[in-house]
Amino acid sequence: MQKSKRVTRRQFLKSSLGAAAAFTIVPRHVLGGPGQTPPSETFGGALIGCGGRGNGTFNGLGPNVEKLAICDVKFVKHADNKKVYKDFRRVLERKDIDVVAIATPPHWHALISIAAMEAGKDVLCEKPMTRFIAEGRAVAEAEKRYNRIFQVGTYGRFGRSQNQGDILTHKIMKSGLLKPCKAVHIKPGGLKVREWSGIVNAKPQPIPESLDWDMYCGPSPLRPYHPHRFGGTHRGYWDYEGGGLTDMGQHHFDPVQWTFAKDDTSPVEIEAFAPPAHPEACGMWGWVELKYADGLTFVMDSHEWPVDKKPSYNRKESRGVSLSDLSEEDQKKIKEMPDPEPLVGFPEAIRTRKQAGGHAAAAHRCVTLMHLANIAIRTGRKIRYDPVKEQIIGDEEANRLVNIPMRAPWHL
Amino acid sequence: MNEQTSALVALVNKMPDPDQRGMYCADIDKEKIEGAIAKILKGGRDNIIGVIDMLVEPGKGDDVKAHYALHCLALHVCKLKGERRRRRFARSLASQTGGDRPKEVQKYLVRELQIAGGREVVEELGELLVDEELCEPAAQALAAIGDGAAEQLRRALRRARGKRRLTIVQNLGVVRDAKSVGALKRAVSDEDGEVRIAAAWALANIGDAGSADLLLRAAEKADGWERIQATKACLLLAEKLRAAGKKSEAVRIYRHLRDTRTDPAERYVCDAAKIGLAAAD
Repeated sequence: MQKSKRVTRRQFLKSSLGAAAAFTIVPRHVLGGPGQTPPSETFGGALIGCGGRGNGTFNGLGPNVEKLAICDVKFVKHADNKKVYKDFRRVLERKDIDVVAIATPPHWHALISIAAMEAGKDVLCEKPMTRFIAEGRAVAEAEKRYNRIFQVGTYGRFGRSQNQGDILTHKIMKSGLLKPCKAVHIKPGGLKVREWSGIVNAKPQPIPESLDWDMYCGPSPLRPYHPHRFGGTHRGYWDYEGGGLTDMGQHHFDPVQWTFAKDDTSPVEIEAFAPPAHPEACGMWGWVELKYADGLTFVMDSHEWPVDKKPSYNRKESRGVSLSDLSEEDQKKIKEMPDPEPLVGFPEAIRTRKQAGGHAAAAHRCVTLMHLANIAIRTGRKIRYDPVKEQIIGDEEANRLVNIPMRAPWHL
Repeated sequence: MNEQTSALVALVNKMPDPDQRGMYCADIDKEKIEGAIAKILKGGRDNIIGVIDMLVEPGKGDDVKAHYALHCLALHVCKLKGERRRRRFARSLASQTGGDRPKEVQKYLVRELQIAGGREVVEELGELLVDEELCEPAAQALAAIGDGAAEQLRRALRRARGKRRLTIVQNLGVVRDAKSVGALKRAVSDEDGEVRIAAAWALANIGDAGSADLLLRAAEKADGWERIQATKACLLLAEKLRAAGKKSEAVRIYRHLRDTRTDPAERYVCDAAKIGLAAAD
């Protein structure tokens, strides 16, 4: 006779609870007390946008996040609304998801970030943070309104904030003692202008059956489908991004903005040298100058146009900031200033509820640089900007690119 | 082809050719383009209509140069001092909408009006709000222009159904049309969930104090995505009221959310209300 393998009730409960502890993510808001820090420090996560940057962005959420849901408009045939989704709204309705990684094309970044925070989630969003300026302000307002953690997916400022030379520059600029500031920072090339241009003679093609093209277009105009508008090359169209400038610009200028302590303001004058822009396709430009109210100037020099004149920019030379620019008395004040607080990474921020180093307000000011540059390129006009009201001064038509109407039902 | 037409064709042909990838990345001569555009504009309305005549539906022919030239004209008229030539350009474009031209061509004209149009074309854009295909771009152009847009959207709402109704409700919120509050309040109980969400947001964005109870009730009974969005509308309305100095109305909304969102899953709403209350003090 075979020996009975009967399991006692105590044994059953012990193993079940063990399995539950191992495999069930209890939502942070259920376990957490004030500040919602979970005793288990385990978070339910979702990835929205499963293209080339998807997994990399999700990994930025940190080690204690379990991927409970993935979502993409190309999952029309695979969506089961349990683990795989094609509509991010269904993901955000889930109460067991605490953190969301967003790696869609940029025309969705702001809307999904805001919606996620409205649903009580923390957000790690791929760069560039937004498609136009008003989106960034709306993300920052949502971050504040719902007291959520937001981090943009670029991390250069974390290294800069530990470098003694950058810390000194940061303190000098933060002090406001340097007036006027004659510093000029030039970004020479590396902005992928030609690489991320759009096709101007694209012929419409059939929409793949696996793709929800209407949802992909989302807040942007519903255009005839063309594969170049999708899957990475979307960067070449104003509808979705802003060319190589916005693709690469936030990587470069986010740490520079921290060094020069400009997280809470924007340039006041922007001038570009470029041929007339195409209405839909991003294209060539030469250089852009962005000058802050204190005189600090950032320059984006494409090194790609005009084709026969490289480099095209020769108006200013790079110039840094040093203590010797100040009086002895002011130098003493700088030396007495405490170093800035260390920046907090996303995994630590969601545990401690401290603001992340690349928070929405700072990331918004950074991507605003690229948006202002693109407005100057697209309009062909010198722009004057009010960094408090976040509006272009005296140019109503250019101002329309600051807050671009969206296709219903999408709105900020 | 008459003399003027052939001269116009020659000027449009000065626009660049796409490179091997189909892009404007090679041989882009700024001075040549801008010189040709200035000459086209000197030809006045006839030349503008002439360029529009060269436009075709996507995939139905090659209009790359005319397409680009029309946009360059829009940029050019916005650069010029004085409004006269911009207005003339905008009126020329508007006169070519609503007729027999292909819808994709008309959409393009409307998008260029979004860039260079003003008060002078809002009536023509308003007439497009009845068109299933043109309603969306026309509403966006009106929202971008702002001045005079609300009246057009308000008038169109009366007869709008389906997607057009959603578009118009949303854009009445964008332009913050206080005269539409009554219609928007009715739309909060529309049979279409997206219209309900858009109407609640529109009332909040307008900052209508009289909508507070309606929005709180709507948020209370909604589920899922609609509940999230209706709650957002309540918080947004409270912020607008606070900013407008209507502190007691804002506090009432915040207190309601603080006291009713007791489920752990909505604790963040309760916390958001507390933040709002603290800011209102």
